[in-house]
Amino acid sequence: MQPNRAYPGEKKWKGWLYVLPGLLVYLVFTFIPILETIRTSFYRWDGFSSEKIFVGLENYARLFTDNDFLRAFSHNLVFIIFYCLIPILIGLALASLLGRGKLPGMNFFRTVLFLPQVISMVVVGVIWRWIFNPTFGPLNLALRALGLGHLTRAWLGDFTLALPAVGSIATWVEYGFCMILFLAGMQRIPEEYYEASSLDGASRFQQLIHITIPSLRPEIVVAMITTIIAALRVFDLVYVTTRGGPGNSTLVAGIVIYRAAFLQNQTGYAAALATVLMLIILAISLLIRHFQSQTVELE
Amino acid sequence: MKSFHFLTPILIITALLLVACNGSAVPVSPEPTDGSSSTATTLVVWDQFYRDVESHVMETLNAEFEQAHPGVKIERVVKTLDDLKVTLKLALTEPNGPDVAQVNQGRSDMGAMVQADLLLPLNAYSEQYGWGSIFSTSVTSRNSFTPDGKTFGQGNLYGVSPTAEVVGVYYNKGIFAEHGWQVPQTFEEFESLLAEIKAAGITPISFGSLDGWNAIHEFSAIQHLLVTPEYINNLVYGVNNVSFDIPENQKAAEILLNWANSGYFTEGYAGIGYDDSNLLFKAGNGAMTITGSWLAGELVTDTDQQFGFFLLPPFEGKSSMAIGGVGIPFAIRKTTDKADLAAEYLNWMVSPRAAELWAKAGMLPAMSLPEDAGIETDNLFGDTLIAWQTINTNNAVGHFIDWATPTFYDTLVAELQKLLGGMSTPAEFTAAVQKDYAAYLDSIK
Repeated sequence: MQPNRAYPGEKKWKGWLYVLPGLLVYLVFTFIPILETIRTSFYRWDGFSSEKIFVGLENYARLFTDNDFLRAFSHNLVFIIFYCLIPILIGLALASLLGRGKLPGMNFFRTVLFLPQVISMVVVGVIWRWIFNPTFGPLNLALRALGLGHLTRAWLGDFTLALPAVGSIATWVEYGFCMILFLAGMQRIPEEYYEASSLDGASRFQQLIHITIPSLRPEIVVAMITTIIAALRVFDLVYVTTRGGPGNSTLVAGIVIYRAAFLQNQTGYAAALATVLMLIILAISLLIRHFQSQTVELE
Repeated sequence: MKSFHFLTPILIITALLLVACNGSAVPVSPEPTDGSSSTATTLVVWDQFYRDVESHVMETLNAEFEQAHPGVKIERVVKTLDDLKVTLKLALTEPNGPDVAQVNQGRSDMGAMVQADLLLPLNAYSEQYGWGSIFSTSVTSRNSFTPDGKTFGQGNLYGVSPTAEVVGVYYNKGIFAEHGWQVPQTFEEFESLLAEIKAAGITPISFGSLDGWNAIHEFSAIQHLLVTPEYINNLVYGVNNVSFDIPENQKAAEILLNWANSGYFTEGYAGIGYDDSNLLFKAGNGAMTITGSWLAGELVTDTDQQFGFFLLPPFEGKSSMAIGGVGIPFAIRKTTDKADLAAEYLNWMVSPRAAELWAKAGMLPAMSLPEDAGIETDNLFGDTLIAWQTINTNNAVGHFIDWATPTFYDTLVAELQKLLGGMSTPAEFTAAVQKDYAAYLDSIK
């Protein structure tokens, strides 16, 4: 690839014209707001009055002793299991089932399994709040019908189970995305690899480990980055289902930022929280990409 | 000319974007100054009466105001309270912002806006229109702040509220009649009734704490029967250095916890939301529920059940007090050039006609009802009206305690969930809430 080479006879600046509309939208609605957020993080400001006091790094110093935020961030880390790890495993399993076999009605399964990804998060939250409802939710009704009444819980209101309960909703949403990604990647793997390996006596599981997964590495990296980012910046799902309760046991960074910015009039502090969260997400994404390019070079 | 064609769309998009980014570049039709009756004057009003019935009352009031003021047009913007809270502060800093808006009481909303000098003090208008004779001091102090926005409950008046609210007990008349249960007169009677209902295999109190905020009402309704009106005032207005960590609050927490542990609440209440719990109650599931008068309108539509309302009764030998207050007040933007007209609008919002319309819609008006309004009171609305009048005339209108500090709401929700979930004791509960309260008192010193 030679990015700077223009077509013969074409002027270089024309390339910029092509990207200008997109670039403008990006600058106005993403880049400038990010810079503005970083600038705001150095001030004590309520978000609307003209009184803006420069406090340097005070907001950042406070953040490291803010137990609510630290606890909330630890929940985000737990969510990585539900947003990233489990969906990727389920996605791999489903992709290897649907990708190569000649299952009847395959398009139907692909569509249905991808469906959760298409629904708005708020709607997903409302649906699952109903599923988890202790009195008339289908989950507890099903458990009772199966004679497992002792397993029924107030799922979203249970101190130990609320976090995994919300997390499992995220799994439900994310696995379809991983599956579609892997299915697309599998189109690229030559069928001969599988034929040759099966002649050598490889089982389907061995094929998955030694052929499918190594070939899907770029897709897995994309899935990891996307889902980890989703786990770290989650707001809507938690807001709709539990609002961080019970007793802050599902509090996440996004909720803490929202409360500080809009309910407690601490926009400067909220901006600092948002900036730190952004830097963490950026660092994790770069780290994953770094490892990816390293392993590719090793090969 | 080929390159011209290809550039055109880009230039148009760029131009559009630039215009969109810079809102003031869009020409606005010139607004006539106040008093020029020949041309139209537009009054922009933001309110949060978005539910059907409420919205209809507002539409009627606005139309009648326009009729009485030829040349005046009301531009109404309706938002949910959540949306209003998030957008109003910035909108009030705009030179073209709303002239009149509903501003939530308490420190993080009205207090912060007064501090930022965004609201017009209404003292002169209050005198002109005689609002002092419509509302008691206890009511006006809820909409008052000192001009620096730091002291709540005194100083200038910044808003007037058209509606009133009281938290009490709704009961299912059918279930009560079937078992021969009576409305209890003391708290002791109320508690033995709870046990009796439970023994009959019925959920005594329909409740769901998943959304959090209504748990504050369950706790505070009991708290109001144990503390004095002075204490609640001091606590909410942040004066006289009171503490939350007192035996009365601990006892209220103990009682609430005992109710939870005795199975008086809906099974699995921790996983049920406020609206879902009300749906269950409305469907005949549960004998009682503790919440505010705002639910009354909801409980008379689309149901075959009959409901009544009473105040949570006082402890034997103690006086009665209930959570209550006035609804979200209307306020005027400080920089509006139509202040006089806006004040007239506010006066219309608290007129006898407004009281009549709110009552007909099943909502409690904060103003007294005109005698000849012909409002039916032999029903659920009548029950809530009697409850409100009882506490209003006995100086027993308490407070929504989550106004006390900007973080009080979140703290109370989290700590009450911990208490009910068995993660903390009543003593730990009051200590944890006091930590929030003390930190806030320190910060405003």
